[in-house]
Amino acid sequence: MLTRGTLIYISQRLVLIVFTVLAVSSAVFLGIHRLPGDALFNEHLHGIEYQNVLHHYGLDQPLFTQYTNFLTGMFLHGDLGESFVNRGVKIAPLVLREATVSAEVGLFALIFTIGIGMLLGVVAAVRQNTWVDYVLSTTSVIGYSMPNFVIATFLLLFFAVWLDNTTNGSFYFQIGWSGTYGSIGEIWLPAFALGFPYASIVARLTRASMLEVIRQDYIRTARAKGLRETVIMVRHALRNALIPVVTILGPLVIGIITGGVVIENIFGIPGLGKEFATSILNRDYNIVIGVFTMYAGLIGIANLGVDLLYVVIDPRIRY
Amino acid sequence: MAATAAAVVVGRPVAPEQASLWSDAWRRLRRNRLALAGAIYLTFLIIVALVALVYTPYPMAGVAVAKPYSGPSAAHLFGADALGRDVLSRVMVGAQISLTVGIGTQLIVLAIGVPIGLVAGYFGGWIDSIVSFAVNVFYGVPDLLVALLLVVLLGHPGLDKIIIAISVTRWMDMTRLVRGQTLALREREFIEAARAAGAKPLKILFGHIFPNALGPVIVQATFGVPAAILFEAFLSFLGLGVPPPQPSWGSMAADGLAAIRIAPHIVVAPSIALSLTLMAFNFLGDGLRDALDPRSRR
Repeated sequence: MLTRGTLIYISQRLVLIVFTVLAVSSAVFLGIHRLPGDALFNEHLHGIEYQNVLHHYGLDQPLFTQYTNFLTGMFLHGDLGESFVNRGVKIAPLVLREATVSAEVGLFALIFTIGIGMLLGVVAAVRQNTWVDYVLSTTSVIGYSMPNFVIATFLLLFFAVWLDNTTNGSFYFQIGWSGTYGSIGEIWLPAFALGFPYASIVARLTRASMLEVIRQDYIRTARAKGLRETVIMVRHALRNALIPVVTILGPLVIGIITGGVVIENIFGIPGLGKEFATSILNRDYNIVIGVFTMYAGLIGIANLGVDLLYVVIDPRIRY
Repeated sequence: MAATAAAVVVGRPVAPEQASLWSDAWRRLRRNRLALAGAIYLTFLIIVALVALVYTPYPMAGVAVAKPYSGPSAAHLFGADALGRDVLSRVMVGAQISLTVGIGTQLIVLAIGVPIGLVAGYFGGWIDSIVSFAVNVFYGVPDLLVALLLVVLLGHPGLDKIIIAISVTRWMDMTRLVRGQTLALREREFIEAARAAGAKPLKILFGHIFPNALGPVIVQATFGVPAAILFEAFLSFLGLGVPPPQPSWGSMAADGLAAIRIAPHIVVAPSIALSLTLMAFNFLGDGLRDALDPRSRR
């Protein structure tokens, strides 16, 4: 599977990711430095004090020098500068840690999306035109039309408020996040809210492609051989039905990453998305640049992962 | 002269066909119950938004017109929020914001996407290469994040900034659709006939190709409205929408979420309004697609 061609392809893509990160961070850097005002405005600094702070951040230098300093810092030292609001806090380790938190939640959401989505899709296909099928089709339209913060709201109303009231507080979901990476009890609901809209898309796609596949001759052959129905569905049908589903993984991963901005804010998860919203509202522009740089890298790597997954699932594809 | 005469002769039997296409589509749309329900809901919503221009039960920014956090009652059908403002009045004004953003964005998207798509599809060559490249670049970036950044880069929050930011991240769908339609239509005989008759490119593009691509364009615009409304809700939810005290469903949901335990009605009212609106537009879009392009029916 890991042929020489694949390795060359991977290295080409990695170079491309580096260039994307460069382009994105440059665009954000230059765009943001045109803006009037920053986090320092709130501190009402004057005279020499103000000059010292400006010098500390290198803001007293011409824009071009600032830009080259930014680039050499990023590429040679992995340094993304310092937060304006929390003076002395280095951004690179901060956003790197937050990216792993977001990736953790995103991964759970992805597993949930694909697992539930495919399961429901297969069930709907096997029980085509029964009530199961109709219920699933209707739910998927609803799931697709609802913004994820609305889904999160209703999930919270049920699991946090209603369950708390009916069980007198003995069993319910508590909004919160312990430590850096949280716990299973804290992750499952945000992951569910994040993945639900996409689970319904995956379910619809799986249903459609399963319906196509189970009418093929080789499925009839498998039945004629006397294989058990579950073996036919999982080994023979599902594997081929997967290919169209894999094609939406790219948009799905981007959707989960952007959806995380809202979900992390609702559930108080200390990830990249929460930092993004906070830093924009605080005008902590150095962090905004850092977060965007991180997003560009994260999305590039996620897309590369999706493309490599094609090779695993469909042996006809070679790079 | 001869050319015009020929066009009239050819044109006459075509005219009733054209009329029957639209009446046919209308007949098919009426039979689609979900689409019809969506259309009725949207009509209701538009009336509510218009009424809210001149009348709301209470002023939308009127603080302490009711007891803070008080639940739904006869005087305040949707209850009151943390500042004692009437939620129903705010949901009504929120409908204005959502519809303005949704429809305003689509008008800009149409104004950008249709001409660019027509020109790229019709002339091809380097123009098409540039347009296709730009479309692909924009498809590759996470649109929501770019819209967020654009709102910041455009300066202070305001409805116009939001509409511009969303349009910049959503113009590609329409451009790609119109370009594809133009590519298919420009090879047809009636376009060749128009060209042979000496019609100028502008006349061919807007007089012959665009009217024939109108069906898919309407469908795409209908699907584009809920996408834009969703974006606005996201921006407002994160605090980057219209500035307070102006209500938006997204910011109302964010405010209500903070009080979900003691007063769930504050978050539920705008959430349901938003979900119903998005669903109605999606159902109407589905219905229009089936009605205007019967071949694509799945």
